Amino acid sequence: MSEQAVVFKGTRNGLHIYLAAEPDISGILHAAEEKLQSGRPFFEGATVNLTFSGRECSKAEQGRLLELFSRYLNPGSVSFNSEPDLSPDVKEESSGIDYARIFNGLDEGMTRFIRGTVRSGQRIYYEGSIVIIGDVNPGGEVIAGGNILVLGALRGIAHAGAAGNVNAVVASYCLQPTQLRIAGFIARAPEGEAGKPPYPEVAYIRQGQLLIDPYLPGKENRKFHTEK
Amino acid sequence: MGEVVVITSGKGGVGKTTTTANIGTALALEEKKVVLLDADIGLRNLDVVMGLENRIVYDLVDVVEGTCRLKQALIRDKRFKGLFLLPAAQTRDKNAVTPAQMQKLCEDLREQFDFILIDSPAGIEQGFKNAIAGADRAVVVTAPEVSAVRDADRIIGLLASNELLNPQLIVNRLRMDMVKRGDMMNIEDTIDILGIDLLGVVPDDEKIIVSSNRGEPVVMESSSLAGQAYRNIAKRLMGEEVPLIDMENEDTFIGRLRKFFSGRNKKKE
Repeated sequence: MSEQAVVFKGTRNGLHIYLAAEPDISGILHAAEEKLQSGRPFFEGATVNLTFSGRECSKAEQGRLLELFSRYLNPGSVSFNSEPDLSPDVKEESSGIDYARIFNGLDEGMTRFIRGTVRSGQRIYYEGSIVIIGDVNPGGEVIAGGNILVLGALRGIAHAGAAGNVNAVVASYCLQPTQLRIAGFIARAPEGEAGKPPYPEVAYIRQGQLLIDPYLPGKENRKFHTEK
Repeated sequence: MGEVVVITSGKGGVGKTTTTANIGTALALEEKKVVLLDADIGLRNLDVVMGLENRIVYDLVDVVEGTCRLKQALIRDKRFKGLFLLPAAQTRDKNAVTPAQMQKLCEDLREQFDFILIDSPAGIEQGFKNAIAGADRAVVVTAPEVSAVRDADRIIGLLASNELLNPQLIVNRLRMDMVKRGDMMNIEDTIDILGIDLLGVVPDDEKIIVSSNRGEPVVMESSSLAGQAYRNIAKRLMGEEVPLIDMENEDTFIGRLRKFFSGRNKKKE
């Protein structure tokens, strides 16, 4: 085999799998399995969007590929692009911002609900918005294309609008993140002991700055989705 | 049918082995039949803490590989009725055993003992997976410091994904004087983050080091506050309701008591 039968490439939207254009699927399956096996701890339990490209796959072949991948990870959205793709090295991240990929369903749309606490070492990724019914502990990561709401304490890392939407917000009953990211903005917790905020807060971007405000009536009530 | 309890922490050095030795001894003092299983293959030291190092002939790997019978590898602790140790191998590594083999071993031990306490190695790799494979419940040991709590949190997540839900927490090495000064995380903060039930709090105690070096678990000493904490934990593990020791008053009554006893011990020596 002159080139690799399978190339994995992590992108912001999940895993892109480039398949070699060879007719025999079993070689590809075998190579993919090896890769998945070696990356097992990395993939374990993660929900990953899969995009297959580089080779035309029949329904049966698609089924076999999916079956294989779902043994190692939870497939999110799955798509098969039949057209032969550019080589993996040339593609991706060339233009900087891909506007078509920015998630826009902030006011309504896809939401994933997580019941329970996101603990250290756990990572939740979803294209849409995420609601955590529980805490996010230090070392835990929540990454969403849309908004992130934590109905508990947020002490880990949250990245809202991960696909580039600066209007996304992060809100929590107790906002004490290690690091907070919205689209391309990153803020970290202030140095030293910052006490527990006594009220729920929301973080958002305004005029290029990441701001944190209480959001309950009587404190300070603002509209967050006005920035265009 | 006995219960298999794994004692784990993620981070090293928070006191898994000490905890295992002391809870096991305390359970034996409560007339339970207990086996301590050292799952830290290649870095064994439960035998040292128990003072049974020189009695090892066969070990866990020998049992699993069929070199000897289970009964031959079990070391009876002559000081306590019903207390046994199954030592780890020192010349092998974690890959010498599989989770399935550990499960089988736990099933075999379950028939003979009331409690099987598994001393888990630090880390989240093969040794940890082996240690939790046959367990019915888990006890997570942590120290009141940020790094230990972070690792404990990770472990609780991993336990949950291996169907060991509702582990119980032991906060070890608490120094009340430091908590009071605000230099150490307090118990409330720790529980707030980890969100699991508290099994007990063990104060930091120099006697632990002394007793570990001597191979005499600290629960044997009636004067030690840490020993008392471990005895209470053993009782709670058996399902009894025991209130937490009031460590706030350590520097008054119990503190004086401790000073009195330690002073007396010194005179004896």
